[in-house]
Amino acid sequence: MKNFIEKLLKIDRRLIFLTLTLLLFIPIVRPLGLPNKNIGTEVKGLYDRIESLPPGSFILLSIDYDPGTRPELHPQAIAVLRHAFRKDLRVGMLTLIAGATGLVEELAERIPKDIAPDKVYGKDYVILPYQPNPAAVMTQVGMDLYKIYDTDRNGLPIKDMEVMKGIRNVKDMGLGICITGTALLDSWVALTGDRYKFPFAGGCTAVSQMGYAPYLQTGQLKGLMGGMKGAADYEGLIGHKEKGTSGIDALNLAHLMVIGLIVMANIMMLWLKYL
Amino acid sequence: MILIKKYIPLALCFLFGVLTLGSYYVPTAASENYMEAMNQWENIVAGFAFLLGLFGLFYSHYNKITRKVDGWGYSLFVYIGFFMMVIPAILSEGKIMEGTTLTSIGWGYRFIYNALASTMFSVLAFYIVSTAYRAFRIKSAQAAVLFVAALIVILGKVPLGQMLWDTTLGWTGTQVSGIVQWLMDVPVVAGRRGIMMGLAIGGIVTGLKIIFGIERQYMGRD
Amino acid sequence: MLNKRLNLTIFSVLFAASAVCAATPASQKNAPPVPDLSGFQAVDMPYDKGEAVLLTWPVTPADVPGAVYQVYASAGKDWVKAAELPAASSLASEVELPFWAWKRDAALHAFQAEMPALFPGFKPGDGYSFKVKYVNGKTSLESAEAKVAPKANFFNLNRVNNFVLLVTIIVVFFWTVSHAKRKGLFIRRIAGLDAIDEAIGRATEMGRPIFYSTGIGSMSMVPTIASTSILAEVAKKVATYDTQLKVPHFDPIVMTVSKEIVKQAYTEVNRLDSYRDDINFFVTQDQFSFAASVDGMIHREKPAACFFIGHFMAESLLLAEVGATTGAIQIAGTEQESQLPFFFTSCDYTLIGEELYAAGAYLSKEPMLQSTLKVQDFGKAFVMVAVAAGSVLVLAGTIYKWDTMLYVVKHLFKGY
Repeated sequence: MKNFIEKLLKIDRRLIFLTLTLLLFIPIVRPLGLPNKNIGTEVKGLYDRIESLPPGSFILLSIDYDPGTRPELHPQAIAVLRHAFRKDLRVGMLTLIAGATGLVEELAERIPKDIAPDKVYGKDYVILPYQPNPAAVMTQVGMDLYKIYDTDRNGLPIKDMEVMKGIRNVKDMGLGICITGTALLDSWVALTGDRYKFPFAGGCTAVSQMGYAPYLQTGQLKGLMGGMKGAADYEGLIGHKEKGTSGIDALNLAHLMVIGLIVMANIMMLWLKYL
Repeated sequence: MILIKKYIPLALCFLFGVLTLGSYYVPTAASENYMEAMNQWENIVAGFAFLLGLFGLFYSHYNKITRKVDGWGYSLFVYIGFFMMVIPAILSEGKIMEGTTLTSIGWGYRFIYNALASTMFSVLAFYIVSTAYRAFRIKSAQAAVLFVAALIVILGKVPLGQMLWDTTLGWTGTQVSGIVQWLMDVPVVAGRRGIMMGLAIGGIVTGLKIIFGIERQYMGRD
Repeated sequence: MLNKRLNLTIFSVLFAASAVCAATPASQKNAPPVPDLSGFQAVDMPYDKGEAVLLTWPVTPADVPGAVYQVYASAGKDWVKAAELPAASSLASEVELPFWAWKRDAALHAFQAEMPALFPGFKPGDGYSFKVKYVNGKTSLESAEAKVAPKANFFNLNRVNNFVLLVTIIVVFFWTVSHAKRKGLFIRRIAGLDAIDEAIGRATEMGRPIFYSTGIGSMSMVPTIASTSILAEVAKKVATYDTQLKVPHFDPIVMTVSKEIVKQAYTEVNRLDSYRDDINFFVTQDQFSFAASVDGMIHREKPAACFFIGHFMAESLLLAEVGATTGAIQIAGTEQESQLPFFFTSCDYTLIGEELYAAGAYLSKEPMLQSTLKVQDFGKAFVMVAVAAGSVLVLAGTIYKWDTMLYVVKHLFKGY
């Protein structure tokens, strides 16, 4: 028995990988439809903030994730866009990650298709081009954004667009949101949110979620979506279930497996030690 | 030489460091114009840095191929991958979409880069699971506390965990989400704040060391 | 009969007169109150860049629900409606300015007019007129015009608390630097940094390379700068033992700086002949492509030691886990607390928090650099005292309702 346990404790990690793969296949083959009961308070915070903005308010949405973190973060961006357009808010999208430009294009493609078919580019939303230096953008939008963004991603001047009417810097905007798998949300909070008293919220991967707790407590972040669960929560709040909600099954099973493995490994370790 | 390699960079570092620091306290138009100019310059330099990286990359892999070092074949893929993305990008003028259809670079982005990057990130899930199994062992009282906290957080973060809690510990009248919220709001925030404050002080001191030229290792000392 | 009629007439007249007399004050009592707008003032918004005007007028009993104040501005000709505010809102106490720059308890309405939003061609220094109009149903009252020319201020007084702290830190900084030249300094051991020799020695014995990654941060980030300082010391030891060093990079500027640092390190130990230009090489500026590439190299070349020091995000575990499977001795350090658990589980030594920033000074053993560690300690002592004292004062202020002290303490420690 002792030998067997010892072998099990030193199990080839590839077997663990295989088990996880098989486990994750279950919801793909047959969705379990597990309910997403508890909505996170920080997700509700973001939802309430957008809900409280008067129609016509401007939202600055920074899409700062690349395809790597797309499964977790793309559903968050779609849910937020859907909500903002439903509330008749104006949206300015930008990116500070070179690899995200294609994902921004995907969003641009989906807006007229299914997110908000009635919204018009240039009147209700605008997409700003990629800029290589995040710190420069974050400080500049607090002063005069036209000094760093004079055209949109297609090279058209943005100053005369209807969507930019009355907008010169973040003081004229209702909310800033950064969805990212990097540390750019921290920079947005420090360089734009705090410095220019601009309400800011975010979306991040589940791994980084814990790290933003102090920002939420001090009000430096008005709300936060963490990983796929955050996206599922937001989809639940706006009543439009999509990829975030469908990922909940896989999330449940993977979490359960982690718990199972940790508990099992510790029981075996204690067995070897005391029995 | 010492003037160019040491004194001029140090003087520039001091000058721009002090000006940038000062601009935080001086709200005049001159201060704002200075920051705007700096932002534009930084953006330009960052853009050109891509070229610097590209030349560095090509040079390094060219050397590997010519010297036939171990694994030089992989270096060939650097060039193949580069041209596979750059030629379509030039042909489609950098556009990912042409109207409602994908351009060739758009196709490459969506069906090659997307898949590769997602795969790489998803490997993380496998590593997390195997690391949790190998490393999360209760070897001390502190580790036991950590174990219990982690277990509660994992349970509280997913609906199935919440259902499990309600079924097994529902009689206690406590909600797992409430405990998770407390853990997040009190011990997690307290611990993180401690590290954050230490980091902030370290950051300020490092900044001062650089502005005043005491820390010079980043520019190769002399 | 006549007398009777006269009496009746006199009585009726007196009754009517008394009724009229009684009715007049009653009608005055029911009339809606009207505010006193004679105190309306327009002044340049203090401590800003000259793009805002501060309008103030007294709070009066007329600020009832349903009543509004309309704010108008003019550049000379037409009046523009700047805002419409509920009468009970926009109070001086709501203005987000610290107590040394703003009198919060004044019984005033305060409104900040953002000039560029009102007048697109606005320039600081031009004159503008303002007036405020009180409207409550059919009652309305307009103030006199007030003129102002907003101008930029030279110092942002709101940030004086921050400025005082900065000056104090600079003074302490120079004091410790000058002090350190005369006396030595005790520094506690940092296991992660002491293990560098062990790691390099192991690599030399095994004849395998050493991998050093500065992370995915740019050169303007403090952890990257700290990492390059550690790289300098590592490179010196590597050059001394003539071991192989590989430094893959995410950022081209960091690569250029690192090249210079490594070359200098080789020069310092007189091993410039062993220096190769491809020790530092650029990989890619994409997070996961970088991780994949470095993982591949670690997997193929099986290094004896891996250093992951700098700014790391999700790639931390991807790199450290692969390094661990090859059996390399691993030393990590990052300012990203969320990534520290991953490094703890997969690496042999991890630098926590400000240890990363202290590393350069610790390794170089230069008295000037080491003395700056003392500033960090003073800073931490100050934070500890401030947190403890602040908590006690806020708690006492809350329990005993010392509102003035509460907002003095809160303002002192707030960023504006």
